[in-house]
Amino acid sequence: MKPEIVRGDSADASETSAVENEQLLSSEKGAREATASEASDHIRAKDEMLPEKGGRGVSRKSMVWDFKARGEPFLWGLGGALTIGIMMIVGFVVLIVYNGLLTFYPKPIERVVLKSGAILAGETTRSEVFRPGPETLKNLSPQDRKLVEDLNGYATRNLYRTGNFDLYNDDFRWVSDYDVAEIHRPRDLIFLERMEWGPFIGTIKSADFNGKIVDKESLKWDELKLQHRQAEKRRKRVKEIERDQLGAINHLLERDRLKLRKVEIKHGKQSAEYLRTLEDLKGKEDELQSRHEELSREAAILKELDAKYTVTMADVGGREVNLRISDMVRFYPANDLSFVEKLGIYLSRWWEFLTDEPREANTEGGVMPAIFGTFCMTVLMSLAVAPFGVMAALYLREYARQGRLVSLVRICVNNLAGVPSIVYGVFGLGFFAYVLGGSIDQLFFPERLPNPTFGTGGLLWASLTLALLTVPVVIVATEEALAAVPQSMREASLACGASKWQTIKNIVLPRAMPGIMTGLILAMARGAGEVAPLMLIGVVKMAPELPIDQFFPYIHLERSFMHLGFHIYDVGFQSRNSEAAKPMVFVTTLLLIFLVFLMNAASITLRNRLKRKFFTGHF
Amino acid sequence: MRTILSLILAAGLLIASPAGAVELDPGLQPYKAISGVSGNLKSVGSDTLNNLLTLWSEGFRSAYPGIKISIEGKGSSTAPPALIEATAQFGPMSREMKANEIDAFEKKFGYKPSVARVAVDALAVFVNKDNPIKCLTLKQLDGMFSKTLKGGGKEIRTWGDLGLTGEWADKPISLYGRNSASGTYGYFKELALFKGDYKDSVKEQPGSSAVVQGVASDKYAIGYSGVGYKTADVRIVPLSVKEGKCYDADAENAYSGDYPLARFLYIYFNKKPNQSLDPLMGEFIKYMYSRPGQQVVIKDGFFPVSKALADEDMKKVGIE
Repeated sequence: MKPEIVRGDSADASETSAVENEQLLSSEKGAREATASEASDHIRAKDEMLPEKGGRGVSRKSMVWDFKARGEPFLWGLGGALTIGIMMIVGFVVLIVYNGLLTFYPKPIERVVLKSGAILAGETTRSEVFRPGPETLKNLSPQDRKLVEDLNGYATRNLYRTGNFDLYNDDFRWVSDYDVAEIHRPRDLIFLERMEWGPFIGTIKSADFNGKIVDKESLKWDELKLQHRQAEKRRKRVKEIERDQLGAINHLLERDRLKLRKVEIKHGKQSAEYLRTLEDLKGKEDELQSRHEELSREAAILKELDAKYTVTMADVGGREVNLRISDMVRFYPANDLSFVEKLGIYLSRWWEFLTDEPREANTEGGVMPAIFGTFCMTVLMSLAVAPFGVMAALYLREYARQGRLVSLVRICVNNLAGVPSIVYGVFGLGFFAYVLGGSIDQLFFPERLPNPTFGTGGLLWASLTLALLTVPVVIVATEEALAAVPQSMREASLACGASKWQTIKNIVLPRAMPGIMTGLILAMARGAGEVAPLMLIGVVKMAPELPIDQFFPYIHLERSFMHLGFHIYDVGFQSRNSEAAKPMVFVTTLLLIFLVFLMNAASITLRNRLKRKFFTGHF
Repeated sequence: MRTILSLILAAGLLIASPAGAVELDPGLQPYKAISGVSGNLKSVGSDTLNNLLTLWSEGFRSAYPGIKISIEGKGSSTAPPALIEATAQFGPMSREMKANEIDAFEKKFGYKPSVARVAVDALAVFVNKDNPIKCLTLKQLDGMFSKTLKGGGKEIRTWGDLGLTGEWADKPISLYGRNSASGTYGYFKELALFKGDYKDSVKEQPGSSAVVQGVASDKYAIGYSGVGYKTADVRIVPLSVKEGKCYDADAENAYSGDYPLARFLYIYFNKKPNQSLDPLMGEFIKYMYSRPGQQVVIKDGFFPVSKALADEDMKKVGIE
């Protein structure tokens, strides 16, 4: 660390920028050689002092001296590394934010007539420059070939999202520019999102409102919107009946069935208890069944009504498709929108994404269950990891006799942090789910067997596995924080007659709190972003119900759940149509990063409040 | 070759329309919901079938709102252990169970697992959309993907070895495939590699769609995956068993057995002999074989099964 050249004067050195400094260094090198060697001795002396004093002990004067010595290549290296690091992070965030934020913005639809006479219509997705192969070139007309040759053999092509998967069997198509005869943006082309089969792109032919047939000319946009709102209301009601009310009845029926099964296992099928329970439940079941039928009938009537309100759409080729208004999610004339309308569609898509359930094997709809699952799991994990991590660190630092054994334990804890996360997943599945969960099922839920309750992956086991994964982070951070509390404070407390535990509780822990919180924040961030072990233990592609609902015991720790990280993996690598899924991957990633950011921000705010309270904490 | 024979059987009444859109067997019945069905279903297994099962469960739950179905898909090899440990009722697989997997099941329960063939898939070989290659034989595939060359061909390293000229001639072939837990991996190994071993240079991908994305972004790539995962960025190469006529990976060729890599997709489950199947599981199987159920198969990019095959498989497990 020997500074080779240092400027002689010191007062204004810190004002000079690094670049100027470098220039000065090279030009004034010779002239200042004499003073430099003198000064470098001085610096060397300072440098040697630094390690002993520790980072905090450096006086203001020496900081200035340090700053002055930045001409060192070493410092340039550090600065460069930092810049590269920051640029990579910023680049990554910008990429995600740019792609994620733009996804939901409505794009125009182009109607493309090809030279072959074929017509297609679609959203423009992206374009690329390519070099057509010799065979393709041979088949082109002379003018087209000349066009390509003029561009040194390159041509452009656009990817159109044509939708209408039910008609075409594909929904994206590349169109090379030399194939195109003309392109328009007709105002009557509609972009229609459907509950099934992905989007439809085409025009409205006619509508049928419960027998009243309206053709294209006399169909008013407002009327269609109104009918759509009513159909949506019906759809919502059907969902409410099916999910909430019928779900509740099914839940009660299932509970009774399990109660009966339990009695059967305990007393046998011929026993008096069994017959009495059977009698009891019979009456209840009939009542529930009749309520069930009543609700089902209401849902059936609504669905029948839905079938009477339909719209006939036609694609650009003239092929017609008839669909229910209740199956339409959103529709808009893509080429005839004002900025405000576009913004409205953009926001309504975000709203759907954040609050709705996924549709069509997770490629459409929202991610609400995944957000909820991620959140629940992270909170549960923090609840599990905090006490264990802190207790372990307290024992290691405050109670255990510092010696070889404790050092060994410490090394083990640090090594634990380096174990691949998938190993934790295997352990979680083998130990928690199969051994622990299996025994719990045998003991407490024999009536549900052979269907496992706790004997399979679930929220609890996933949280515990992640807690295990993150506990080293908490232990190390907590130990550091405890070590930073001055020994004198402990001694003072003990001298006043406080017991060891009183000292820890009232003096040490409060002051170490900010450091412990830092550890917890790191653990949470790690846990929220972890996917690999979860895939083995509890995360599923589609979970039928949330882990928290209105039925006793309200928090269902045994349920499998959805997770944003896994959702990204699943949509990105498993979905049928990867082209359509790509934007969803960006949006979901954006959301996950935002969620982790939010949780971290909350904990950091909390930590800062604690810090202000106990000024001495400096971790 | 048993598969191909039964595929021919399966063809039965099926006719694929010339436009490429696959048509359903008109004999398949619409699904009627019955009362008294409740409970939970869990499926663990193939990721090829993952989307299909999700779509089925979405449809099934609109008939029975109270049913809870959760779906896990990490690869076909995860299905047998899940069935044996009874952590799942259904084990979807994209290949047939191996003898040792059936043995392990039999050891635990004393009888063999039951199976339903729920859809037909053509394993497609994808290349980048700009790739001019016209046709490939199984022997050539073996030469590209295998290091043991059991098919008896020569090793193929560059696109020039396959007869491409110009800029393609000296470009090495970049290979994409599935990871070893996948049934697709096993099936391709058995048929295209003649049970040989993959080259170490095959880039193993964690999902069917990942293979397609890999091929889409790598101009000199080739990879295999389910036909349903095709995007606009890739092209499916027609295949032939021997030199001669090449067959597209479409429904017609899959049913007739002309396309060499057509296969059934299976769902395995645990049914005690001489006992009727749990009504919930029975209804789910019925739904899969119904008209809306097989419609979903088309939506997910696979080919539907015929009524005759559906009836045969349902009869085996005692569903009317």
